[in-house]
Order: sequence, then C-alpha cells, then structure tokens
Amino acid sequence: MTAQGAAGSAQNRYGVGIGWRREIAGFVAGLPGLRFTEVVAESLPGRGPGIPDGLAALRDRGVAIVPHGVRLSLGGAEAVDPARVAHLAHCAVALTAPLVSEHIAFVRAGGTEAGHLLPVPRSRDAVDAIVDNVLRTQAELPVPLALEPIAALFDWPDDEMSEADFLCEILERTGAELLLDIANVYANARNRGEDPLTLLDRLPLERVAYVHVAGGAEHDGLYHDTHTDAVPAEVLDLVTALCERHRPPALMLERDGDYPAAQTLRDELDAIADAAGLPRVTG
Amino acid sequence: MSRELLAQRQAALVAAIVAGAPLPPGFDEPSVRAASDALMRKRTGEVAGVWPALCASLGPQWNGSFAAWADGRPPRGALRDGWDIARSIAATGDLGPAAAVELAEREVAWRYDGVAAPRRRWAGARRVPGGLLLQVAGRVWRSVRPGGNGLGRFSS
Repeated sequence: MTAQGAAGSAQNRYGVGIGWRREIAGFVAGLPGLRFTEVVAESLPGRGPGIPDGLAALRDRGVAIVPHGVRLSLGGAEAVDPARVAHLAHCAVALTAPLVSEHIAFVRAGGTEAGHLLPVPRSRDAVDAIVDNVLRTQAELPVPLALEPIAALFDWPDDEMSEADFLCEILERTGAELLLDIANVYANARNRGEDPLTLLDRLPLERVAYVHVAGGAEHDGLYHDTHTDAVPAEVLDLVTALCERHRPPALMLERDGDYPAAQTLRDELDAIADAAGLPRVTG
Repeated sequence: MSRELLAQRQAALVAAIVAGAPLPPGFDEPSVRAASDALMRKRTGEVAGVWPALCASLGPQWNGSFAAWADGRPPRGALRDGWDIARSIAATGDLGPAAAVELAEREVAWRYDGVAAPRRRWAGARRVPGGLLLQVAGRVWRSVRPGGNGLGRFSS
C-alpha cells in the first residue's frame, strides 16, 4: 500500500478497512471484502510466536496488516529508543507488512510518560528533532514509514510555522509517506476555527499511504477525537472532498472502545466506502 | 529553541499534564486542561479494562476514586496503575471480595515491587477470601474450600 506502489491502479487499491482490535477480531475476520487492516504495534508481543491467531489468519489469507506505533515518541527532543524501533521492525517482519506507521507527536519527556500523543511545537528546532528521529527509525525498518499528524486540543504558544509547512518539511526531509487522519484534520480545524480544506489543499496528497477515519464528540466546546463515538457526517464529507482531490490507496475506520453492534460498524464502513466512492467490504 | 531547551519544555508540559506541576507560561490553560481531562478519562477506562473486578467493586465511585488517586501520579500503564490503586485500597481493608481475588491472581502470577515493571513468576501461592490461589507456569488454580482436598482449575 505504499503511496508509490498504489499509484492509480485499481488492482493495487486496498479500499476500505478497519483497525484490528481483540474485542472486534471476529467482526474484522468476518468482513468478506477486507484487504487491509492495522494493528497497534505495542499491543503485539516482542518475541516468539506472539502474533494472535486471528491476526495471523488474516495475514495468511492475504490481508495486508500495518503495524501502527503509538509509543515511539518521534516528536520527542530525546532520541528514539532503539528497542522500540526494533519492536516496530519485528512487527513488520512478523506480519509481512507493506509499511509501518507512527505519529508526529511525543508521548514522554524527562522520564515521565504522558500516556497520550502530545503535540510538538511547530518550530524549526522541533522539525530538526523529528527529522533526526524519523531518519534513525527508517534506518532500522525493512519497509517504508508513514507519519500521522495528530489531533491536538492545544497548541504551543510560540508556533512559528503553519501546520501545512511543518508537515511538508518533515515529509520532504525524511521521504516518509503520510498517514492522513481525516478526523484529526476535521478536529483541529474545528477547534482552531479554520477551514479543513485549506490544509487538505496544501498537503502532498499523492504521498498519502492510507487514511484514518474516526468518530468523536464535543465536550465543553472542544471537539474530541475519541474513537469511541460515531463518525460525524462532517468527517464523511471530508472523506469525499479528499477523494475528489486524490483518492488514497486505502481508508480505514479506527474504533477503540465502546464497541457498537456489528451492524452499526458495518454501516460505518459502508458510509466510508460510499463517501470515498469505493466498493463496500461488508458483503 | 535548542534541542536541550525543547527537551526541558516538553518535560515541563508533560509534568503539568500528568503530574500536577504548574502549566508553563503562554499555553491556553482551558485547552490544556481539556487535554488533561480527556487523558484522565482514557486512562480510567483503560485501567477498568485491565482490572474489571476492581472497577466493578467501586461501582459509581470508580471514576472519581481513580481520578483522585491518579491526580499527580503519572500513568505507568493500566496494569501497574490498577495494581497500585488496588494495593492501596487493600491496605485499608476496603477491597471487595472479587477485586481481592483479581489482585491475588496478579500477585501469584507476577513479581511486582511497585517500582519496576512486573515480572512473571514461575510459581506462586496466595490466600484469598474463602481459599487459596496457586499458580504454576502461568496456570492458576483456586482451591474449592480452605483445607479441602480439591483444587479446581480456575483460569490459565
């Protein structure tokens, strides 16, 4: 599913998928048209047979599986932990993954874990730190790396670059692909009072390896990208707007708790497929 | 901003979000608080997922109790967070029976000193309300009754 590998050809498209989670493993395995999924890399064991049976069965039937890291802390001022990079590489090999992905964010600093993805300042020095960490990571990976910009509820006080300039420079200097989370684009634009299309129009959409779609909800005037609520119509409209500009090789639903009935998940997957102009994978 | 200054500023922000330190100047306080609150909700849910009996034993007080306990304590992962709060409740004698069994299952299966990450034990035994837990090579048995002659396989 590398952006280059999928260029234009309908046969190379992975279409619509959903993130693999233990709680919905049966549902995911039962999707007749599924061609790709993603698994949180840190949820997989480091050595030994390790890969859960359900995931191995998907791999063995030809479903592409992308290990998705959440703890590398690529945006940290400190160098990435080689053991964490090695784990991501191990996951890629064990799953015969076409690529791996991680976030443009930091999750720990000064020895304290935040337990969450935090935004980095959009500054030249932060870009340098991220680029160094991405290059260190790429050097150890057997497959391409796609970088995901996060949803941030706050910004740093001294941001000196626009989000588009910040992301474009990181992608350009690292050669990494883009994991575009369209719900994050929506959340950030809504919380900053901006137009999400402004960012879409400035990003290198031909470098999008795949797209995350997720639900969220408003709390106290801010939109939270919760992954536990329904996908709002505005996010589906953005999927359509994205695909009108450049249809990515793959789009997937991220659901991380409060799992709804199977029919509700099927309806969400169908809605994403319809919004993207792709075949439904549910039957 | 140099790399060292970036490191210091990131550390100060993390400390403000999860360890109760003051928010560095310039940040929008309500927005950072919203992020901090969202993080606490997520953390509470994750611990409940790993420690279901502990969560159930506190019922409607779970969210508030966990948030009060976790305030100023950086997250150490759902297993350790739940373990630490379960031990602190157990120390006051207020841990419900099902939550006590849940805690005992972890205690027989892992060696955890409250400081370093838990490590698996080869074997262990521990008293629980109404019996005994025995763990060997990852399998856990619970005695049917104290001093009884039957060990029923409990879980593995």
